[in-house]
Amino acid sequence: MAMIEITDLHKSFGANDVLKGVSFAVERGEVVVVLGPSGSGKSTLLRCINLLEDWQAGDIRIDGESVGYFDGGRRRAWPEAKAAKVREQVGLVFQSFNLFPHRTALENVMMGPLHVRRMAKPEARKLAGDLLEKVGLADKADQYPATLSGGQQQRVAIARALAMQPKVMLFDEVTSALDPELVGEVLIVMRRLAEEGMTMIIVTHEIHFARDVSDRIIFMDAGAIVEQGPPAQVLASPASERLKLFLRRYQGDYLAV
Amino acid sequence: MVNVLITNLPYLLRGAVMTLWLALAVVTLGTLLGTGLGILATGRSRIVRAAITVYIFVLRGIPVLVVMFLGYYAFPALGFRVNAYVAVGVAQIVYVGAFTAEIVRSAILSVHPGQIAAAKSLGMRRGAILREVILPQATCIAIPPLLNNALTAVKQTAYASVVGAWELTYAAREIVERTLASFQIFLGVMAIYFAICYPLSLLARWYEKRLVVSH
Repeated sequence: MAMIEITDLHKSFGANDVLKGVSFAVERGEVVVVLGPSGSGKSTLLRCINLLEDWQAGDIRIDGESVGYFDGGRRRAWPEAKAAKVREQVGLVFQSFNLFPHRTALENVMMGPLHVRRMAKPEARKLAGDLLEKVGLADKADQYPATLSGGQQQRVAIARALAMQPKVMLFDEVTSALDPELVGEVLIVMRRLAEEGMTMIIVTHEIHFARDVSDRIIFMDAGAIVEQGPPAQVLASPASERLKLFLRRYQGDYLAV
Repeated sequence: MVNVLITNLPYLLRGAVMTLWLALAVVTLGTLLGTGLGILATGRSRIVRAAITVYIFVLRGIPVLVVMFLGYYAFPALGFRVNAYVAVGVAQIVYVGAFTAEIVRSAILSVHPGQIAAAKSLGMRRGAILREVILPQATCIAIPPLLNNALTAVKQTAYASVVGAWELTYAAREIVERTLASFQIFLGVMAIYFAICYPLSLLARWYEKRLVVSH
């Protein structure tokens, strides 16, 4: 059984169709990278999986369970408390980090265990400390986000999501807001997670990383999946004109049309 | 020339004590009321949101003096006999509450949506998000305007004298009627109001500095 199974997902913001029937599945332990130009619906897709967005039609299954809407009869969205249950199992890391500025790095990581899992404080502290160590920030535990670099903040954000021990991790362009020099430290953490067998969906523009780490690449354009396959195949011999153009632009050919 | 002020100072100070009590009640209860309404104004119920919006807009469009007259005459019209302090206090609390509600509401809305998305993505529920994420950040934003609001509220208690609630300004008018030394007496009154408000101004300034340092 797939960890995530998406069937014919349709999502629009008013008259703007963002997702036009997206279907794919992610197996347990699989690392899928989603590539695509801005506005192709990649981020919205991740936000739907984490139930941060509603959608108009289609089905999302997480670990076998259909989520977000009651089936049968009139289509009705889940109440927030039920959606929260799903979010507990699905970690999301944002492009803009979104750390809690009034809390230290350690307290940020403790937030989920304390206020969702209702873990005792010493235990939560231990867990958070271990996770900060895992992302290489044990020495920054008591610093506030504002005093950390972008790369450090993003690693705290990853630790914060991991603290909920999610079944799946979603990464939404997590290195796009970083200085080029700081990208590596975040990608290394993600790569280690992938090697440990975490199920991951990664939206990124880092093509080298995608090739090294992913089991499969999905290329999206204008709200639909254009092609997908193993990274070597998709990147070396793209089937569609759209992906060829996309890759040429990425290789620095800014005049490509 | 200052003699008349010195002779009447004890009487003025007794008025000042009354003003302090009134101000304390109005600021505390008004801020509590407004904070509750401000939080509700960002809640899910459309009816509640609409009702609070109407309350805020109506009260903000009326001079406090008029609200106080309304409060003063409303109780008897409804068949209650209340003393002037209660009438004035309730009217001012309702007035201060409207301004506070608007400050709290906009402070909550100015917390970055990414913060709420991050909290939700961890699986946090509404109450926990409000308590752990939104309110701590909204408080930082709201405190300077709330202190400013409190300052205004303290000074507005002077209107209480108009409907016969005895406090500092009322006491001053009594003395002036007796002594005709309006300038000296009101100079003293000015100094007393300033002495009450100055610590609040200092507090606001101190908090602002602390905020700048922490960011």
